[in-house]
Amino acid sequence: MALLEVQHVTKQFGGLSANRDISFTVNKGELVGLIGPNGSGKTTLFNCISGLHPVSTGRILLDGEDITSLKAHDVARLGLARTFQVYVAAGDLTVIENVMVGCFMRTRSRVRARARAGEILAELNLQEVVESLVSELPVAAQKRVTMATALGSDPKLLLLDEVAAGLNPSEIEDIMKNIRHIHNDLGITVMLIEHVMELVMKVSNRVMVLDYGRKIADGDPESIARDRNVIKAYLGERFVREHEEALV
Amino acid sequence: METLRNALDFSDFPRLDLLIAGLVAVFLLVFPLFPHSAFAMATMIQFLMFSLYGMGWNTIGGYGGQVDLGKAQYVGIGAYTTAVLLIRWDIPFWFSMPLGMCFAIIWSFIIGYPLFRLKGHYFAIATIATSLVLMDLFEVWDFVGAARGLEISPIKYHPPDWWRLIFKEDVYYYYVILAFFLLGIFYVNWFRKSRLGYQLRSIKDNEDVAGSLGINVHWAKIKTYAIATAFVSMVGSFHACYIKNIEPEDTMSLDISILIALMAMLGGAGSLWGPILGAAVLIPLKSYLKEWLGATAGLAGIDLILYAIIIMAISAIEPRGIWGIVEKIRRRKKR
Repeated sequence: MALLEVQHVTKQFGGLSANRDISFTVNKGELVGLIGPNGSGKTTLFNCISGLHPVSTGRILLDGEDITSLKAHDVARLGLARTFQVYVAAGDLTVIENVMVGCFMRTRSRVRARARAGEILAELNLQEVVESLVSELPVAAQKRVTMATALGSDPKLLLLDEVAAGLNPSEIEDIMKNIRHIHNDLGITVMLIEHVMELVMKVSNRVMVLDYGRKIADGDPESIARDRNVIKAYLGERFVREHEEALV
Repeated sequence: METLRNALDFSDFPRLDLLIAGLVAVFLLVFPLFPHSAFAMATMIQFLMFSLYGMGWNTIGGYGGQVDLGKAQYVGIGAYTTAVLLIRWDIPFWFSMPLGMCFAIIWSFIIGYPLFRLKGHYFAIATIATSLVLMDLFEVWDFVGAARGLEISPIKYHPPDWWRLIFKEDVYYYYVILAFFLLGIFYVNWFRKSRLGYQLRSIKDNEDVAGSLGINVHWAKIKTYAIATAFVSMVGSFHACYIKNIEPEDTMSLDISILIALMAMLGGAGSLWGPILGAAVLIPLKSYLKEWLGATAGLAGIDLILYAIIIMAISAIEPRGIWGIVEKIRRRKKR
């Protein structure tokens, strides 16, 4: 069943089209990777879906409800959470307080928010840093705190924006565990933007590729890795021509 | 129940802080019992009033990071509501104060709704403008005495009049404002741990992230602005009964707005003790400057120069004020 439906979405900034006529659906329980070269419009697409930017044309449905013209906080209330490339709820709050900000979307009680935040942090193996200030943590831990904060709002759909960027292999391993846990054990549908191919190809059920604001491919990870258009987008037309025989 | 517990629970502060706070509280309670000059008493009352103004400002300005330089307009609304109702219809303080708060909150919604579409410096400038416009309106409004202002003449009443808050001796006023002061601390202590308190700190850091966590940023700011307004208007009402002579110029001018913001900024914006610390430093300083230096010809206005220096020093050295310095030292020691 479709949880997120994006229908012919176009986003223009002045004369620049960041997203052009993008359509896709994400079904309940899927883990979809979104890749593409820098500037291909991935984050813009997330911003449109999460209500941060109004779309220029097109329609977006979440769980059957039209969220196209809703503000970010209303979209969040309907069950869509996201992380940002840079940053958490508040740098001068402790880790658990940050996650509480997320939890406060579903409860007014501080006690309940704190209890829930503690649970989430334990689930993501962050129990050791609960009382640290977020600004004092290493980047990898900060990224995981952003995920925990987003989870605080009990989402149906979680959008992760480059949570593994700039991390070393063992940190990526930790993040991957967290993502798998969120998807498999908590049963949350996940869509993630990522440049770390190793992670995308390993965890995703399905991968979508954007290039210059257009969707150029959509399929399972293996077929995407062999897709001629995708290779062209990343490595250029010449590479494809020169390695014609290897690609077939 | 949980609300009450949050308001009374200070356990997240270090022991030392609580000890100092306790000693200060005891001192404030027994201060009038010791011999003191009228000047000292007046300064203490000013200190408590400005602490409260600062606490109110701190909710939106400190926790929310929205620098508001127009709080004086709400001092005026509170003060004028109380004075007009008392003089014209003999309505006592305990009715006029909540009514003044209601007026102030309504006004804060009216101007807060458009103003919070602005951000940063633009918001600060707009708050100054609305406050000055309101002051100018009051200066030509005959119903409230225009530029001459209003005077509550104590002869008509029989002090001590607890209903109307008309007293002869300052010590009564002292204890009334002290009670407000303590309630204010409990309120802010609750506020900083409430849902809105956490949401505001998230808004201060990054509004996009806050929005993605289901926080209606615009509405949260308006709500908090109304809370800050209620504080300020309440003290404004008290001001009318205490000073008994109010004019637009000395309740709603820009200096008052800046002074209110300065309490929290100097002491530590976004911390519970900040505004109190700020008031403890600034108010005696201000009274002293007024009493001794201001009386000397040619030195009037030196307090404004001083405020300017303080603002520059805060922004250059430690944006989180005195409390920010304290916390920095503490964190260094912990390592």
